Amino acid sequence: MEREIQLLWAAVVLYVLAGTLAIVAVIFGRKPEKSLQGLLWSGLLVHGVAIVHRWIRLDHGPYVTMHEILSSGVFGLLFFYALAYWRYQPIRPTAAVVLPLMFVMAGWMLLTDPGDAYVPPTYDTTWLVIHILFGKVSMGGVFVALGIAGVILLRRLAFGARWFAGLPGDRRLDDLAYRFMMLAFIFDTLMLIAGAIWAQDAWGRYWAWDPLETWAFITWLVLGFALHLRVTLRPSPIRGAWLVVAVFVLSFLTFYGVPFISQVPHQGAV
Amino acid sequence: MNAVMGKRGWWVSVGSLKLTLALFVLFAVLVVAVYLVNRLDGWVLAVPFGLFALNLLAAITTNPAFRRQGGLLVFHLALLALVILLAVSRLTYLRGQLEITEGEWFDGRLTAAEAGPLHPGHVTGVRFRQLPFTIEYHPGRERGRTLSRVAWRDAQGRLHEGVIGDHHPLVIAGYRFYTTHNKGFAPLFRWQPAGGGPARTGSVHLPSYPAHEYRQALEWTLPGTGHRLWTLLEMDEVVLDPARPSRFRLPRDYRLVLRIDGQRYLLRPGDRVQLADGALIFLGLRQWMGYTVFYDRTIPWLLAACVVAVLGMGWHYWRKCAARPWRAEEDD
Repeated sequence: MEREIQLLWAAVVLYVLAGTLAIVAVIFGRKPEKSLQGLLWSGLLVHGVAIVHRWIRLDHGPYVTMHEILSSGVFGLLFFYALAYWRYQPIRPTAAVVLPLMFVMAGWMLLTDPGDAYVPPTYDTTWLVIHILFGKVSMGGVFVALGIAGVILLRRLAFGARWFAGLPGDRRLDDLAYRFMMLAFIFDTLMLIAGAIWAQDAWGRYWAWDPLETWAFITWLVLGFALHLRVTLRPSPIRGAWLVVAVFVLSFLTFYGVPFISQVPHQGAV
Repeated sequence: MNAVMGKRGWWVSVGSLKLTLALFVLFAVLVVAVYLVNRLDGWVLAVPFGLFALNLLAAITTNPAFRRQGGLLVFHLALLALVILLAVSRLTYLRGQLEITEGEWFDGRLTAAEAGPLHPGHVTGVRFRQLPFTIEYHPGRERGRTLSRVAWRDAQGRLHEGVIGDHHPLVIAGYRFYTTHNKGFAPLFRWQPAGGGPARTGSVHLPSYPAHEYRQALEWTLPGTGHRLWTLLEMDEVVLDPARPSRFRLPRDYRLVLRIDGQRYLLRPGDRVQLADGALIFLGLRQWMGYTVFYDRTIPWLLAACVVAVLGMGWHYWRKCAARPWRAEEDD
């Protein structure tokens, strides 16, 4: 286990370096994008090795303890963000918004107990892995949208307007943010479906309104509400950005807050 | 003409997208309310589901956007189908619990059940037999795999045998039987009436083990008599050792404390208690297994509706995104 912790620390150091570089870059108007990508992907590689190492050692994926949920959460969000960063050049300065958030989450991960746990028999199914993967993609979509929304909001401030002057206009950013929200909505829906299939096999019911199911459904409703609102009332990019922030906060509380206050992700259902 | 226009105007209002937004809010508020207020019945959620269905139907029939955008139409039709299927599901479902002693047949009686008003109630005719089962435990008494052997008769009367357990329910006549963490010990008795009538054999289920390890006692009434019995299982060994991997099993050495009509008896397998109206013989200890049973014929249709909804949604968003390039710099 010591090796895993060392690898995790190394990954976090690389993430922090990437985040710091992103902040420095927007402040001084530089574009050290290759270095930043190098740090980010190196961190992901090291983090990935830590996760695989643990997976092989314990013979279960990173979804049982809070430490594992946070570790796979950080990895999933950053992996998705790194893909978006690599693919969509204009949004790259958003790294200065989202990577510092990861400092907090990675810090939380390092503070949790990395001790081993047995996988409950109800978790021993491929559907759980599929359910989690869909959830990670969904959360990743909201995360990228959050970075873009953060830029829209920060540009209301003098320093933000200066730092993010090189990005496209608010309307274009808003459009891009909501594309990622659409992706998140599709994968959030898939996550709920895969979760229902898993729950039916594991506990003999596809839906029981346990705390995580309840909050996951509320998150789905709020995501649907945000997308519907955008089509119906066509809010300004600023209001749209606040909605993205609200969706991210709710998603974060659902994915990480509920498992934190529950003994297990689906409390009482194991 | 005006009346027709008025009706149509009303129907258009029902399909308003602004109403959809209000319903999203109502739905979320009611879900939170049901979650937080224990006394609030889950049926309250039928209100937003019903209103959503109406709103969807009205929107699909009146909003021209649905005719222009195939993906959107498919998504919303699938959502509508989903709401209708959920209503059918709630009207016809059954969810219940049962316990069976090893070696006995399930007689169709459930210890607890909730069902929709239109549930057909065929569970009373379902039969399966509990054969030996194993439940593995990791150190620290973390429950592991459950393997439960069962036998059952199909519709043609043929006997089948199989192993069910985690993720593998027994499905008979649409009823899905799932093993649970609930299991324990069951003292088996034979009651021999003094008048020479037929002897009856039966078991009582002690509280779940190891959840109630230190409360292996039960008070019950001997069927057909007025005798109240208090039964306590005593054993000196640790059945599930927290220090090492183990399996749920019967204790090797045990005694049964029985209190009847103020008298206390200590029984081992084969011992009998002579009462004025008959003899009670303790035959030994068995295991009992707890199951949940679930009946819902709409499950495959619900899944199909969900898949179609996602496909429709994906199609719609794909077309929407493809209409303008993703790369922000290209058209900014």
